[in-house]
Amino acid sequence: MQQFLQQLVNGVVLGATYGLIALGYTMVYGIIQLINFAHGEIFMVGAFAGLAMYSYVLPESMQGNPFIVLPLVILAAVIVSVTVALLVERYGYRPLRRAPRLAPLITAIGVSIFLQELVRLFYPGARSQVSFPRIIEGPNLELGGVTIARTSLFLLVVALALMVALQTFIRTSRTGKAMRATSQDADTARLMGINTDRIIVLTFALGAALAAVAGVMQGMRFVSIDFRIGFLGGVKAFTAAVLGGIGNITGAMLGGFVLGIVEAMTTQYLLGSAYKDVAAFVVLIAVLVFRPQGLLGERVAVRA
Amino acid sequence: MIVSRVATSTSERLQATFTRPVRLAVGGAGSLLVVAGCLLPWATFFFGFPGKVTLAGFPGGSRLYPLLLVAVAPLLLVAVEGRRRAGLAAAWGVFGITAFNIAAIGFGRDLPLGLLEERGGGGLGAVAIGAWLALAGGALLIAAFASLPSSDEERPFRPGLPAALELLTIALSLGLILFAVVIALEVDETSRFISLIAFATAAGMTLARLNVFAYVTELFDRHRTVTLAAAAIAAVVFPFTQGGNAYWIRVFASIGVFAAAAIGLNVVVGLAGLLDLGYIAFFGVGAYVGALFAGAARTTVHVKLPFLVVVVMGAVIAAIFGVIIGAPTLRLRGDYLAIVTLGFGEIFRILAFNFDWLTRGPNGISGVPDLAIGSYNFGATNEVLGFSLPGFANYYFVELILLAAIILAFTRLNDSRIGRAWIAIREDETAAAAMGINTYRLKMLAFGIGAFMAGAAGTVNAHVTTQVSPDSYGFLESILLLAAVVLGGMGTIGGALLGSAALFIVPEKLRSFQDKRLLLFGIALIVIIRFRPEGIVANRRRKAELHDADPSTGDASGAPPGAPVVGAVAQ
Amino acid sequence: MSVSASSAPTAATPPVLEARGVTKVFGGLTAVDGVDLEVGEREIVGLIGPNGAGKTTFFNCLTGMETPTSGRISYRGRTLSGKPHRVTESGLARTFQNIRLFPNMTALENVLVGRHCRTSQGVLSALGRGPRYRREEADGRARAHELLQFVGMDRHAETLARNLPYGDQRRLEIARALATDPGLLLLDEPTAGMNPQETASAMQLVRRIREQGLAIVVIEHDMRFIFSLCDRVAVLVQGQKLVEGTATEVQQDPRVVEAYLGKPVDGG
Repeated sequence: MQQFLQQLVNGVVLGATYGLIALGYTMVYGIIQLINFAHGEIFMVGAFAGLAMYSYVLPESMQGNPFIVLPLVILAAVIVSVTVALLVERYGYRPLRRAPRLAPLITAIGVSIFLQELVRLFYPGARSQVSFPRIIEGPNLELGGVTIARTSLFLLVVALALMVALQTFIRTSRTGKAMRATSQDADTARLMGINTDRIIVLTFALGAALAAVAGVMQGMRFVSIDFRIGFLGGVKAFTAAVLGGIGNITGAMLGGFVLGIVEAMTTQYLLGSAYKDVAAFVVLIAVLVFRPQGLLGERVAVRA
Repeated sequence: MIVSRVATSTSERLQATFTRPVRLAVGGAGSLLVVAGCLLPWATFFFGFPGKVTLAGFPGGSRLYPLLLVAVAPLLLVAVEGRRRAGLAAAWGVFGITAFNIAAIGFGRDLPLGLLEERGGGGLGAVAIGAWLALAGGALLIAAFASLPSSDEERPFRPGLPAALELLTIALSLGLILFAVVIALEVDETSRFISLIAFATAAGMTLARLNVFAYVTELFDRHRTVTLAAAAIAAVVFPFTQGGNAYWIRVFASIGVFAAAAIGLNVVVGLAGLLDLGYIAFFGVGAYVGALFAGAARTTVHVKLPFLVVVVMGAVIAAIFGVIIGAPTLRLRGDYLAIVTLGFGEIFRILAFNFDWLTRGPNGISGVPDLAIGSYNFGATNEVLGFSLPGFANYYFVELILLAAIILAFTRLNDSRIGRAWIAIREDETAAAAMGINTYRLKMLAFGIGAFMAGAAGTVNAHVTTQVSPDSYGFLESILLLAAVVLGGMGTIGGALLGSAALFIVPEKLRSFQDKRLLLFGIALIVIIRFRPEGIVANRRRKAELHDADPSTGDASGAPPGAPVVGAVAQ
Repeated sequence: MSVSASSAPTAATPPVLEARGVTKVFGGLTAVDGVDLEVGEREIVGLIGPNGAGKTTFFNCLTGMETPTSGRISYRGRTLSGKPHRVTESGLARTFQNIRLFPNMTALENVLVGRHCRTSQGVLSALGRGPRYRREEADGRARAHELLQFVGMDRHAETLARNLPYGDQRRLEIARALATDPGLLLLDEPTAGMNPQETASAMQLVRRIREQGLAIVVIEHDMRFIFSLCDRVAVLVQGQKLVEGTATEVQQDPRVVEAYLGKPVDGG
């Protein structure tokens, strides 16, 4: 039982990261029906940008103080990730917006490889794993026999706060309404005077910012990162997005948590760690086959 | 956007100020400068830069390429379709190749990305007068061609040659291609290889813009049997030209296997329009079957079956996997399919890694022995008609037979009731279903046939590489295959062949930045999809689909539809 | 003008099409609500109604592109299964409101795709190219040319469908549908966007198709087209069949006028 609870907690924390990345997939898909395959690499780039801030910009005297370090690391990650995402949108996807679906997908693959290699070749030491600072130090918390690292607790709080903030933004703000309108029908939204290009850019930026935060979290939790984290992280987050119902924001978060828990449980009880990545793929395939609209998605009528 | 606006206005100004005599004078002067520049030395002292660049009166090394490109100068005099753009391509080629060589001679060692690690240096002082003359000549040629009116008279390139001459043209074209391949293989220095690629690009674009390619393709089409026979002869003769050296035979055998798999993928992606990102898994299944049943030295299955049986077995097992994977996923929409196939591909790799009892895990199956049919050992060197053939040539021929079979199958399927149904599904699945096509069944068929071809190629590959391990069948390998199909030209045989060859030969040649080749590969994918989405060898349909679908795709600024285009208003 | 108001089907020969209580619900919206329709041999039936009345959805239900929530559809007495390709095999063919040709295939290839379900050569046969394969392929091509000639565009056989003018695209879509050897042809707004000459020739074409022995159901907004062509007209309003009868009956029915123009304002 204790073990079960421990895995549940692990799964939820893992799922928070997946959920944050999944939001980027789901928002972009909702707006322009594009699977932004390179989104996983945005997450990876964010992690490295945060690390670069810590190791190369911050003076050593400040590195012990989490109240200075954490905001600056996250800020650096967000700035770099958003910049990269916007460049990719502007020069990779936008020219292809009306091309057949295959074209942007292949561009996305090209961008993925490019970003991975860029980091591998030019970030010092990134050819193998690079260690990441824990930032938040201190003993683990014990709660009824379940161990929770301080970092994990912090991650969970931040992730939930961001998700709530995003929901509120999209539900209530003017821009949020414009985003929803664009996702319903981009052409009509444009006729209604919404600058859809701006909305698309904003969507990419929001998704990238969340992925950057997720990247820093991933680093803090596993205390190391490498240039390959984007691929698996991306695929799993995409799975989470599909699981929740792609295009659905609440769904992406829910999907993230469910996937995290499933992964933690199967690793513990079913397959062992050698197959932990298989779990995600099996979930993905099962969802797509049996409930392609996802947990919260609605079935959309096919127009003839 | 800003750059393109400046460029437009510059060429407009040129068109306004250059009268015909001025243009001819500028172009003539440019051509003379290029010719003189290429005959004069490009480097002041010898420091190992390839191509005897310090010699005068001898266009060695990369100096040959601008000299050949100057041949477009007469286009300034005659009016044919597309001459402005054709001339510009060649002129930019002259300028670019010269500029690159100046940079390589002056600063080779310090170029970004470690482009040329071993040579160059000494700064601009090392660059001799010839290079500067050629550079200036190139610039003048660009100006001269840019000053031509933008709208050329429409006159397609269609010389009404007699049949005999047409056949001669085909022979010459094929000879030229073969010659180019041989030259490309012989160029060892990175700087020269880059110059050669630049030359090939510039010359290719020039010819394409003059519609010469369209004409030659049409000739190939019209005299299909002759072309095919000639190509087959060239392929069979190739090993005999290598003087007993196995290196390039080995490379070409690998290319052939890769191309066979790429054509299989072409059935899935190019014809049926299903994006499969885990396709390499089928190739892997074939390879494992091939290795396991070949009596390898380090294996888990100690059964040796005849080669042909194994090939069929590998293909069939791969096809069964294809159907198993296809059955649940082919009802999904296109981009979901891509991700699910990616997932299956990864699962295959993970399983191959962990099923030690069958696959020997990360060690893989190795020590696949040479094939032997009767007393004929495929590994031995043979003397044929006085030519010495390395043992590897046998595998080359096996691969050639496989490739020929797969090409035949692809063409016949493409031009049949089945092929038409696939294309119809790709074009509009709903309409295809409404026309009585069982779309699910046909997609499954495409998936199965693609997997079958990959499986067959995989079993042959197990013998070409003599070992099989899980890491050769990852996501990146799937992407490489896909890239071969997309870069070469979707839905075409020539494209798959060319794409595979390019993906093998270019990294082989650019050894000095082997470490960066994936980076360049990523960039190449992005750039090609952006500017030539139909690939090197364009399929008529694909080209129409990708270029005319949206008038704004041609708009480099990517402005939203409906936004005023600056250039258009200015006119 | 004496056209039988309703071609009463006899027990011996079932009607070409018989739809009973076809209903389609999307979420909370009932797009088609218990519609009955019968089509007899060589009959041209018009389906009219304001935009959003559920005409196209009804077509989609008939052709298996949507599964009706309830109701039964049968063709010549045989109940149709839900799958579009099966429906087409049974003998129903359709065109689309917003033309759906295969844009990057030639006109001829488009029609050949229509032959798909009437041909049977499989993979092995396509690879082997035996005499039977070649015969079937040649027959298919001959039939395709014949059909292109029938709709009057044989000289465009080698043109990519995307490059055809609008009117030709509509006609090509009809030729493609005819290639499936249907007994019943469903035309979804065949004259939308056409000029008067093109409309007239489309009308001619529909008549000639009927002369070939086909029954036709046509959705159209062009009332002149409907009333001069159709033996019988059904009016769909808000998913329900409001009226069915001859052209004159429908034209004079006050409910139809009301549906199109709204209720007349009462004096009080």
